[in-house]
Amino acid sequence: MAEKMGTVEYIQHHLTNNTIGEGFWTFNVDTIVVSALLGALIIFVAARLGKQLETGTPGGFQNFVESILDFVATNVRDAFPGHNPLIAPLALTIFIWVWLMNFMDLIPVDLLPLLFQMVTGDSHAYLKVVPTTDLNTTLAMSVTVFALILFYNIKIKGVWGFTKMFLFHPFGKFFIPVNIVMTFIEEISKPLSLALRLFGNMFAGELVFLLIALIGGTLAVGAAALFWAPLQVLLDLGWLIFHLLVITLQAFIFMVLTIVYLGMAHDEGH
Amino acid sequence: MSDNFEHKKVKQAHAEAPGPAANFLLMSAGSIFTSMLIAGFIVGYMLDQIFDTTPIFFLSCAVLGFIGGIQKVHTLSKRLNYLPSDEKKESKEGKETQDDQKS
Repeated sequence: MAEKMGTVEYIQHHLTNNTIGEGFWTFNVDTIVVSALLGALIIFVAARLGKQLETGTPGGFQNFVESILDFVATNVRDAFPGHNPLIAPLALTIFIWVWLMNFMDLIPVDLLPLLFQMVTGDSHAYLKVVPTTDLNTTLAMSVTVFALILFYNIKIKGVWGFTKMFLFHPFGKFFIPVNIVMTFIEEISKPLSLALRLFGNMFAGELVFLLIALIGGTLAVGAAALFWAPLQVLLDLGWLIFHLLVITLQAFIFMVLTIVYLGMAHDEGH
Repeated sequence: MSDNFEHKKVKQAHAEAPGPAANFLLMSAGSIFTSMLIAGFIVGYMLDQIFDTTPIFFLSCAVLGFIGGIQKVHTLSKRLNYLPSDEKKESKEGKETQDDQKS
């Protein structure tokens, strides 16, 4: 495919979403479908596992899921003061869902788009399979977390307590207008940093995968393939192993920071 | 005296962000700084749209975001100086037993 397209087109083609609608109401169908399917996968596996729970000696998969649950529960206990039954399930959902969405990055970059193009019969059909390389996904998740942060801020501190934070927070009572703007900026920067960090890491990771894939596509012609093809395999393997760490770390950071921000919202003294 | 001071410092660190897991905020200090600046631009842009004063708020809020970003990174990196209270207790106990052995 790369031979026909040229490198720039190849990369652009892979980083363009399959969309419906236009302007503000553009829906990135591939992002929505893939993330919904992964969500459904979590629900399906959890429901199946829930039916076959063993109390004695758990099987391999149950053991694995229990270790993830323990890991998340420990993190919530460390980072979250007080008690709120919503936090641990939220953190678990975020961790697993983000990890699965990031994991789509490790599927060979040309495989799913090629299959999609064969199924639809359109050789130029767009498909971007990693939902977290779409800023809409990461911003949607972080805005949801932000809405929860605001809700608990108002619920725990009360309307006056929350307003007081806006009025007197960084510079004291003599700079009220500056304080209001500053606190606004501070609050908006929370979801922004959550979303941009995840998006940036995943987008860059995907781009490196594409660049490595281009080695085989553009340089491995004729006898040169003997040199370039093994190099591509080696580089791909190396980046894959490294990226496996990155996707886990990013999912973990998203989860922990969600817990920390919600913990700050629950902290009355702050 | 110095112990009291240390204790105060540890308490203060905990008041700023709860729990040792808040140390993960340190990892994202860079992106917090960047997003404070971007958030400054966004808030400034919105204020300019409301009051029709382009580019006064746009620029001044960006400066505010920059200041706030530096302030945040500074507060976060101050956490590096604090010992978690458990660790501190342990190290203090260790010191005491050492002193006992000496005497």
